[in-house]
Amino acid sequence: MEGWGIIIIKIVFIWTWTLLIATLMTWIERRGAGLIQDRLGPNRAGPFGIFQPLADGIKLFTKEDIVPEKAHKILFALGPILFALPAFSAYAVVPFGDKIVLGGKEIILQVADVSVGFLYIVAIGSMSVYGIVLGGWGSNNKYSILGGLRSTAQLISYEVPWGLALLAAVLLYGTFSLRDMAFAQQGVFLGFLPNWGIFKQPLGFILFMVAAYAEANRVPFDLPEAESEIVAGYHTEYGSMRLGLYLFGEYVNIYTLSALIVTLYFGAWNLPYVDMSKFLGPVAYGLASFLVFFLKVAFFLWLFVWVRWTVPRFRYDQVMGLGWKSLIPLALINLFITALFVQFTA
Amino acid sequence: MVQEPNGPVVSGSGDYVTINIGPSHPAMHGTLRVIAQTDGETVIKADPEIGYLHRGVEKLGENLTYHQFIPITDRLNYCSAIANNVSYERAVEKLMGIEIPVKAQLVRVIMMELARIADHQVCVGILGVDLGAFTPFFYQIIQREEIYEVFEWYNGARLTNTFGRIGGLDADLPEKFAEKWPGLKDGIRKANDETDKLLTHNRIWMDRTIGVNPFSPEDALSWGFTGPCLRACGVKRDMRKNEPYYLYDQFDFDVPTGKNGDVFDRYMVRLKEMEESIKIIDQAYRMYLEMPEDAPLKAKVPKIIKPPAGEVYSAIESPNGELGFFIKSDGSDKPYRIKIRPPCYMIYQAFPEMVEGEMIADLIACLSSLNIIAGELDR
Amino acid sequence: MARPVVKKEFSLSDRVYLIEIIKGLGLTWKHFLFNFRACFRPGPHTVPTCWQYPEDLREIAPIFRGAHMLLLDEKGREKCVGCGMCARACPAKCITVKRGKVQEGEEGKYAGKTYCAEFKIDMLRCIFCGFCEEACPKGAIVLGQEYELAEYTPEKCLYDKARLLANYEKAKSEGKLKPARKPVPVEAPPPKAAPKSKPKAAAKKVKEKEGTKQA
Repeated sequence: MEGWGIIIIKIVFIWTWTLLIATLMTWIERRGAGLIQDRLGPNRAGPFGIFQPLADGIKLFTKEDIVPEKAHKILFALGPILFALPAFSAYAVVPFGDKIVLGGKEIILQVADVSVGFLYIVAIGSMSVYGIVLGGWGSNNKYSILGGLRSTAQLISYEVPWGLALLAAVLLYGTFSLRDMAFAQQGVFLGFLPNWGIFKQPLGFILFMVAAYAEANRVPFDLPEAESEIVAGYHTEYGSMRLGLYLFGEYVNIYTLSALIVTLYFGAWNLPYVDMSKFLGPVAYGLASFLVFFLKVAFFLWLFVWVRWTVPRFRYDQVMGLGWKSLIPLALINLFITALFVQFTA
Repeated sequence: MVQEPNGPVVSGSGDYVTINIGPSHPAMHGTLRVIAQTDGETVIKADPEIGYLHRGVEKLGENLTYHQFIPITDRLNYCSAIANNVSYERAVEKLMGIEIPVKAQLVRVIMMELARIADHQVCVGILGVDLGAFTPFFYQIIQREEIYEVFEWYNGARLTNTFGRIGGLDADLPEKFAEKWPGLKDGIRKANDETDKLLTHNRIWMDRTIGVNPFSPEDALSWGFTGPCLRACGVKRDMRKNEPYYLYDQFDFDVPTGKNGDVFDRYMVRLKEMEESIKIIDQAYRMYLEMPEDAPLKAKVPKIIKPPAGEVYSAIESPNGELGFFIKSDGSDKPYRIKIRPPCYMIYQAFPEMVEGEMIADLIACLSSLNIIAGELDR
Repeated sequence: MARPVVKKEFSLSDRVYLIEIIKGLGLTWKHFLFNFRACFRPGPHTVPTCWQYPEDLREIAPIFRGAHMLLLDEKGREKCVGCGMCARACPAKCITVKRGKVQEGEEGKYAGKTYCAEFKIDMLRCIFCGFCEEACPKGAIVLGQEYELAEYTPEKCLYDKARLLANYEKAKSEGKLKPARKPVPVEAPPPKAAPKSKPKAAAKKVKEKEGTKQA
């Protein structure tokens, strides 16, 4: 067992790392949008505008904190916190690399290798809806409440296919621990494919992906904050750092979801056909596994941005229809097939 | 205090929420306002309120000379100022009994069709933005900038062109046009193609637009629809074909129509009309080149315009539909009365009927697909 | 209210959301790659469709209608005679002109017998229609290419004669003077000169068309 010191260092590390990625993502999103749309995006602060998030952060921190007169003061304050907190804590059980050996001590690159990591993710993931709905209700604004309600319905509906897709993965890997799932994806599948979840669970991957977009409130499922319909949805009345928390929370959510996708379906830190641990030293291997994992995550982070600037938005009833009429039956079928597969190959 | 929609409030069980959409709202083009009574997400009753951009344009006209009113018409439908200018000038010319020279007509046609393309580009782009697809808007708007460049080289203004003068034109087509047009044409087509690829067959887009706010041709006609919104309902009526003016009877072009009059049809009609406009410009430009260099661009008109006493109504097919000007003259150098018939006004009247029973998101989609321009609506 | 019932017909590839979305992703990726490469190009103007404003200015048409200026003639005399035609033509009524008689010994300063003792343009009212330029019999007032017209106080937006002349000096030093306005060929009065100005076939066609229209 690792000592407290190491665990705290890991917590601090992953905390700052996630924050760093989230801040960077705000820049990447705007720059990416710019380049996709034949314009430049923010490019003034620092080289290529990379300090733009810093400027945004300073702006958000120094702006006046306005609480609407008729807002419910406590709920209004609680909203962003309840949104950001689960987002940050969800990453605790998601690995960010294999292990690193420092000074003879083996350190696993994961804050906590909980045996019920899967359940923890599902539980924490469903917490974030409180932040949105409380913020929407507390703002005392019709647009906000609409956004909050939309988000509630959407998150609850999409948690089902999301959970079912996860469940199929659990069946496949035979474990609840995300770290063990990563280990299960070493080697090759059918002799020529990497032994990654995507090849065993193509449908599950798509379902998980779609549900993840809905969970993260991203286009095409960004109904809770649909700009052209309900102004800004649940954060219409928010400003300064309270708004900042919502925005950061969203990106942290995206980061966690991307990491989950990679862990479940893209072999976590495993490279296809190559076993890095065989020819790399213990420290180098630790760093390499972290890097490989992060690069895979980075691709999915970019995909979130890329899709956002490509597709239109669903309508509220269509989101519900897609969730309940297509995704859940498909997820059930997927679960059934996986069960058969596991039964007959075991 | 909450303002409730006018008219009888829907009775029955259930808690209804009145939502004020606008006048300052991301999706309200300009300063429109819709007071919507909703049951959850469903709009039960929508009451559009207009007049937030009222500038008294018609009254202004009574205090300005005939020429001085031209820049004011720029500010009606600011997306296609040239069509407004031409419509007004045509009305005054009709009142004075002037027929403008052919070359001037050709230049007017070319510029008007460019303005039509620019207007449709904005409409299609904004429809995408309101439905959550941002990117096509930029592809369209970049090409619109190129069109504005042509306008700028024509007489020095990009948006409020003050195009033409009573009796003809203020300038010849710029030399830049010849060099820009082939590239511009390709650019417009490419942008349309990209919009088409990104949106038209995308299932999300089709779900959001097909069958949303459909309108029957009978209803459309009885509400006084004109322009793309009418043609989307399946009525093949275009002033350029039915009541041709300015050599439009000599150009070979189609009038695209839709079937159901839903948001998708309006979007498609606009996309196709841009292609037709390109065709018209091509033909008009060919005819323009055949004209001699020094052919007149302006009919002989007195310096101070004093039309004989009388009234006139003249309309053209503006990008949004029939844009008419009624002018009553008392023989002085200022019009006695100017009445503008904007296409938006008639279309917007049907808006409550169109969105009743639809969802809030459809209300937004409907509004942007109708291309309601507040400047033209409120005048 | 008879609303048409719309039947949605989707092809199989439409029915599956992903295919078209992936095609769309391909399209946006192409744009991204192009612009990504372009933004490493040297100079402020990198992405072809994007001008970075203060460093990288668009080419403005020489006939652009921007800030006004009062012209001087070749001998450095003021062209304006203070007739007030511009003020009368202005739809926004933003020009004030006061006419002054040129005194003895001042002929080197003014081109005409009279001059404008006061010339004010309220730029807050101006709508840049260019009618003043068109109305001016001497070609003395012109709308230049200057478009950065924001000021901190409304008083500064009230351009006086000195400011307008300074605008001219500035434009001249930058070589941004407007080319002389080409007069539009006007149709000759119908009875006599019609065949002269309109050569042959085209003119005939015109006449025919006009004839049919009027009929």
